[in-house]
Amino acid sequence: MFEKVLIANRGEIALRIHRACREMGIKTVAVHSTADAAAMNVRLADESVCIGPPPARGSYLNIAAIVSAATITGADAIHPGIGFLSENADFAAVVEEHGFVFIGPSAEHIRVMGDKVRAKEAAQRLGIPTVPGSPEALLDIAAASAAAQSVGYPVLLKASAGGGGRGMKLAHNEAELARMLPLAQAEAKAAFANDAVYLERYLDRPRHIEVQLLGDGDGSVIHLGERDCSLQRSHQKVLEETPSPALSEASRQRLLSLTVNALKKLGYKSAGTIEFLYQDGEFYFIEMNTRLQVEHPISEMVSGVDIVREQIRIAAGEPLALSQSDIQLRGHAIECRINAESPDDFRPSPGRISEYHAPGGLGIRVDSGAYQGYTVPPYYDSLIGKLVVHGANRDECLMRLSRALDEYVIGGIETTLPLHQRLMANAEFRRGDYHIHWLEEFLARGR
Amino acid sequence: MRIGNRRSPPAPDAELIRSLAALLAETGLSEIEYESDGYRIRVARETAPAAAAAPALARPAAPPPAALEPVPPAAGGNGAAHPGAVTAPMVGVAYLAAQPGTPPFVQIGDTVTEGQTLLIIEAMKVMNQIRAPRDGQIARILIEDAEPVEYGAALMLIE
Repeated sequence: MFEKVLIANRGEIALRIHRACREMGIKTVAVHSTADAAAMNVRLADESVCIGPPPARGSYLNIAAIVSAATITGADAIHPGIGFLSENADFAAVVEEHGFVFIGPSAEHIRVMGDKVRAKEAAQRLGIPTVPGSPEALLDIAAASAAAQSVGYPVLLKASAGGGGRGMKLAHNEAELARMLPLAQAEAKAAFANDAVYLERYLDRPRHIEVQLLGDGDGSVIHLGERDCSLQRSHQKVLEETPSPALSEASRQRLLSLTVNALKKLGYKSAGTIEFLYQDGEFYFIEMNTRLQVEHPISEMVSGVDIVREQIRIAAGEPLALSQSDIQLRGHAIECRINAESPDDFRPSPGRISEYHAPGGLGIRVDSGAYQGYTVPPYYDSLIGKLVVHGANRDECLMRLSRALDEYVIGGIETTLPLHQRLMANAEFRRGDYHIHWLEEFLARGR
Repeated sequence: MRIGNRRSPPAPDAELIRSLAALLAETGLSEIEYESDGYRIRVARETAPAAAAAPALARPAAPPPAALEPVPPAAGGNGAAHPGAVTAPMVGVAYLAAQPGTPPFVQIGDTVTEGQTLLIIEAMKVMNQIRAPRDGQIARILIEDAEPVEYGAALMLIE
């Protein structure tokens, strides 16, 4: 096992990884920008190294600085966390070339799954159902039009190298397609320095359902159930729950076994998530995330498995200690993402937290680096905490979550706590009756 | 930066040291070592008249609960705010000479000109020359040879 792990990330996820290391008796190195010198993960780490200025390009995305920090502290392994360099295949390769272990999958698996077109091809090879779409990048309107004819309108244009919704354009007919293709290409080029776009059939009211998986690279793969992440705003997840209130047991078992089989075939190593759109009883592959995910704690709450611990064990070359029959998924869990944002217009709200009180009690978990007197820096994403609640069933979980939201005090900045309180009071949400556009419709109704 | 045993020591308790030094003079002892809460202060003198030596501060590996610890200043710390400070533009290992055993690039009191190499920082097996940002005289060298440095750390002062 590793003696010392460098955590190449910041915020609540860096703290989350630090906690797993501590419980395994592993020393931690926090790397941080000048803006994060007082962050809780830095203060708790055994060692810390300032790696650059506030902009992520000079610090959290600075491969040379992170590798140098690992060298001077004598770390054995590097955990990339979420975002930043976590899905950068070159980073994974450089880390290994310098003699450190990358706590994640192989650079090759990151590379394949990071390219949307290649990922979709891989999914099809692995027996994962995909949205009907164009097989390759569309160079001109003739190719786009032919592809749209064969999959059927409406179609969605997407950037091959993209993510986060940038470069996506919807077309209901050929005239719209002709207008949107150059726009999608230009946006893709601006955002990803690559103008390749492809198209897919557009699903109007799908749910976002994903499966948490763990593989050891030697053919053993287990799942920790699915997560329903359909409550989204601008393609950002806001609240996640497991199990999904929408799936029948038969559909769930079909989904879980097809994803496990796919990763066995791939020989996947580490934690990973396969994301799907689900509509009218069918699942369609969106992408695979070759990393830990923000919403992983809800799967931990129902399974009792520490996903980060397993990730570290697997990276250290140990086989999976658990088989599928060891995993009992119990009860219901929900995560609310608490962002430093206005709950009305989602304007970022960085600044000093003047009061802080986290909820507690049975079934409550708060993953956050926030504390009274902490200043949320303006340079990074706005996630400052995750409230994760477990209950014996969905009703109990919702009651407990409402109670916990009412206890949570974060003063001095605006947060999305009031949005979550509004959601708890909504009948459709309480019935589990929502899809990926529902939250934006709900917000529009509220204005 | 906190690296292994290189953690920067806590601010010395001046009053305690003063009273220990007084005790040293009063008792005629040559050395007093005082340990409490994991902090060890040693006050010693070589010969009369009593000259309290610099206190040696040791700190255990485990820090006190972080939430109670004073928040460290932004990177750089000592000297980084000095107008003549040369700060590290990257994380790495600082070398004061081109090769082990060769004379250092500069020494205290040397006059340097803008652009002159002051030291090297090795990062990812690349030797990066750190040059003088302006003309002046080397007033202080704040690092040891082969010392790991973090981004923003003060390396030298030019006056």
